[in-house]
Amino acid sequence: MAGKSGRTIEATPQDVWKKRIFSWEGMLVVLFLFINIFCRCLSPNYTVTNVLREMPKYLSEIFLLLPMAYILMLGEIDISVGSTVCLAATVACMATNAGVPFVGVIFITILTGTVCGMVNGFILLKFPELPSMIVTLGTQIVFRGIAEIMLGSGGSVSVTNTAGFRALSGEIGPFPYVFFLVLICGAVFVVLSIKTTFGRSLYAIGSNSRTSFYSGIKVGKIRFLVFTLMGTFAGLAALFLTSELYGANTTTGNGFEMDAIAMAVFGGISTAGGKGKMVGGLISAFIIVCLRIGLGQINMNPQVVLIILGALLICAVLIPNISASLGLKKKKVK
Amino acid sequence: MRKKVLSVLLCAAMATGMMAGCGDSSEPASNGGTTDDANANNDASGGSDDADDASGGSDDASGGSDASGGDVSGKKFALVTKSAGNPYNEKEAEGFEDVIKSLGGECIIKHPVAATADAQVSEIQSLISQGVDSICVAANDENALQAALEDAMAAGIKVSCLDSKTNAASRMTFANQAGTTEIGQALMDAVYDIAGGEGEWAILSATSQATNQNAWIEAMKSIMESDSKYANLNLVEVAYGDDEPQKSTDQTQALLSKYPDLKVICAPTTVGIAAAAKVLQDQSSSVKLTGLGLPSEMAAYIGDDDAHSCPYMFLWNPIDVGRLGAYISAALVDGTITGAAGETFTAAGMDNSEYTIVDAGDGGTEVILGAPFKFDPSNIGDWKDVY
Amino acid sequence: MEKKSVWKKLTSSRETSLVIVLLVLVALISVKNPSFLGMQNILEILKNNSVIMIMALGMLCVLLIGGIDISITSSLAFAGMTVGMLFKNGVIHSMLLGFLIAMAIGTVCGLVTGLIIAKGNVTPIIATMGFMYIYRGFAYLVANSQWAGADALGDFKNFALESYLGFGLVNNVLIIVLICYIVFFILLKWTKFGRNIYAVGSNAEAAEISGINVARVKISVYTIMGFLAGLCGALAVTIYASAQPNMQQGKEMDVIAACVIGGVSMNGGRGSVGGALLGALILSVIAKALPLVGIDALAQNTVKGFIIIVVIVLNVVTQRMMDKSNLERREM
Repeated sequence: MAGKSGRTIEATPQDVWKKRIFSWEGMLVVLFLFINIFCRCLSPNYTVTNVLREMPKYLSEIFLLLPMAYILMLGEIDISVGSTVCLAATVACMATNAGVPFVGVIFITILTGTVCGMVNGFILLKFPELPSMIVTLGTQIVFRGIAEIMLGSGGSVSVTNTAGFRALSGEIGPFPYVFFLVLICGAVFVVLSIKTTFGRSLYAIGSNSRTSFYSGIKVGKIRFLVFTLMGTFAGLAALFLTSELYGANTTTGNGFEMDAIAMAVFGGISTAGGKGKMVGGLISAFIIVCLRIGLGQINMNPQVVLIILGALLICAVLIPNISASLGLKKKKVK
Repeated sequence: MRKKVLSVLLCAAMATGMMAGCGDSSEPASNGGTTDDANANNDASGGSDDADDASGGSDDASGGSDASGGDVSGKKFALVTKSAGNPYNEKEAEGFEDVIKSLGGECIIKHPVAATADAQVSEIQSLISQGVDSICVAANDENALQAALEDAMAAGIKVSCLDSKTNAASRMTFANQAGTTEIGQALMDAVYDIAGGEGEWAILSATSQATNQNAWIEAMKSIMESDSKYANLNLVEVAYGDDEPQKSTDQTQALLSKYPDLKVICAPTTVGIAAAAKVLQDQSSSVKLTGLGLPSEMAAYIGDDDAHSCPYMFLWNPIDVGRLGAYISAALVDGTITGAAGETFTAAGMDNSEYTIVDAGDGGTEVILGAPFKFDPSNIGDWKDVY
Repeated sequence: MEKKSVWKKLTSSRETSLVIVLLVLVALISVKNPSFLGMQNILEILKNNSVIMIMALGMLCVLLIGGIDISITSSLAFAGMTVGMLFKNGVIHSMLLGFLIAMAIGTVCGLVTGLIIAKGNVTPIIATMGFMYIYRGFAYLVANSQWAGADALGDFKNFALESYLGFGLVNNVLIIVLICYIVFFILLKWTKFGRNIYAVGSNAEAAEISGINVARVKISVYTIMGFLAGLCGALAVTIYASAQPNMQQGKEMDVIAACVIGGVSMNGGRGSVGGALLGALILSVIAKALPLVGIDALAQNTVKGFIIIVVIVLNVVTQRMMDKSNLERREM
């Protein structure tokens, strides 16, 4: 705290900050390698084929991570995505059962997600005083509630004609289609966030939305856009999740929002807005997925896995902070 | 510039990660124990693949017989329960593990992190990776496990269900704790008996998509319609407490204030019945309760007098459900049964040692453990410490 | 300076719009079901939501300093489950000891959270999200796949049935809720600590410069939150006569929603005990009324979510109107 005297801050922020960011993503890559070797040593079944076969279910969560990272950069949060996935998956199953051709199903599913996202975006646009956490808490209940009404008293629907979804969960070699799609989308999101005005305005709004507003950034519009994007990707996630389940029920997508937020945070994207890099979020997503698969294969108690994830999450933020404050102290001593 | 370096690093890292995995799996026995294990597993599952093909070829009855009594020692049996932290599931797992151990097999118990199909899919996928010989699953959703279980069957794994079934396409057979109709009949008779043959009654269920509860409620409704004996009973509402104590309490209180003439609540779910029992007993309500509950949870509420809210209730022994599931898994793996109706197998350690697979009425088959067991004031003391 | 008239004070207060919303809700429900306003029903609502109401107080403080805590129901479950298992295994028999242990566990959980947030500079939502998983995991490990049911809890469950704290008139649980509200009302309104909380929430840097130990305030607030969560852990066990490792899971969002509906700002510095109370009451009334007024079981969640959105939007709209009319009055 004492290090806050003007001078030290003015003189060093660039270096310290850049170094920290650089080392964080670097660390994540190292950690990714380490986790893979670690899991490989733990479980003889941790092979490429097996990991890729187990991955698609988790990959659909990574679809949620991408726009969620943008939302966190804005300093907002969206906890309705799990419910959006549930609603979109329900619609996907019902549309398929109603005989809609598969291309139509894809379209309708993604549209459902997009509409849900637009509802969130619209409320936040019209009532900017409202915190996004509360608005999305309300819509979280509503979206899942609508799915509950659609599913009726059985609460569950199965796809009668699975042909389309089977095709969607196909593979090229050991790599499932969805793996490539995640990588492509990830690359697009990374480029968008660092190469475009849109990306820069995300960081600007996250750091200080009022200043951004006065400097001519259309804050409300961008916020609306990002929340809509979140919905679109929730629809996409629902599509791929359905191709892993061939059905939907009222608990589909439960807790996905927290998983997506955790992945982003672990990747160094701050929930306080304006910080972090997309790449970090993407690497950390794969770290978490690999760790889950690895620990799952040695049949570790799932609650212990959650404890480990929770501790990792805290340490991911705590360690750089401590090392940074130690670094500051050292400099002061010199 | 730095970004490029980073992305290259990332790609390199992922590539090496993959390579590392690939390399290790392709080169045999370089570092002792672990890879040996892996090979053993591969051999084992390969072996069971062959066996599967053989029995598949001569599916009609006699095919399996020469393999019957086959050895299951060293095989891997997995159980996927509904969720962690639930004593009922734990008791099932206990029974399952006992039997598998006594048969000399290796047992893997997977408690998913939440009671959702999503969580079970991850567990099943993980078990496929581990090359188990059999998976027994208590399904959280009838349909949503189909893709994962089909993968498992394609990998030569014997798939069965216990407690809650999946749809017919994704299981070989199902260890049913008690026939759906028997449970419906028992509960319906209890309601009839407690209500004195007439009056209003309500159901407090778990969640709206709970497979078992829905099946039992349907059974009760159809029994009520088909028999004129129940004509004076009036089912006023089916409420859902979502297996949460707080919501179940709210729902029970709402039932009481909405229907002043209510006589009986039937709660075919362990959380719901305990919450409802507490509400009724605390208010010394004249409304009585029955349903399906755990003796350990319900011991304080069972009694014939006015001070207790539940005269009697039903359940089966979850340990026995686990045992039956284990015997079915073993019989499937050693080839005694293929899951077709009419086949029989022996479950040496159980009361009714000879079990027959019957048609489940949904296109698949099932094995029924027995009739539901009645817990009343005379026997609750003996059972409350068991489960 | 002219003293504000009572009327002006009333119309400019955040709570007024909430009282109106609450009254409208209650009126609508009573038309549909007259028994709703019965004494017994009101007591039932209060008792069944006491956990949310008490935790809303802690969350109020946390939100006031600009933080958030989503680990509360996990520490609640950890504390409640531990006490439940202690009773079940016959380790403790005293009710008081049960409460003390639960509160101690909650306090330690809160203290750890506070230390990580204040000293480790970890954003509150990240830290508490981590602890949400960790404490919940502990609850499961303590439970070891068992529940502590009514039979195992012995006398402990009677606490929520008896009313000796309320001199035989009011249930013990409600007395505890009442005590908590009085304490927090005094704490936030008339103590230095209360003013420090508002100061830190309005502008942490200014507070730091003016000599307030911000880190200490933050740690205390999270510790208080933990203490209340622990207390609620014991209360939940006695109210429902059952300890389960997944108890109250997801209810942290209800607590936050109660505060925000009650006009507590998530950016810190703004909010009151009365607001938190009204917010919690509105949520409780909605939860209680939905099954009562005959809404189809499957549609209840949708209606609940919809009402929450409508209430917060209405709140914003009335606030805007009030601000406008206040401005106009000032201009005159």
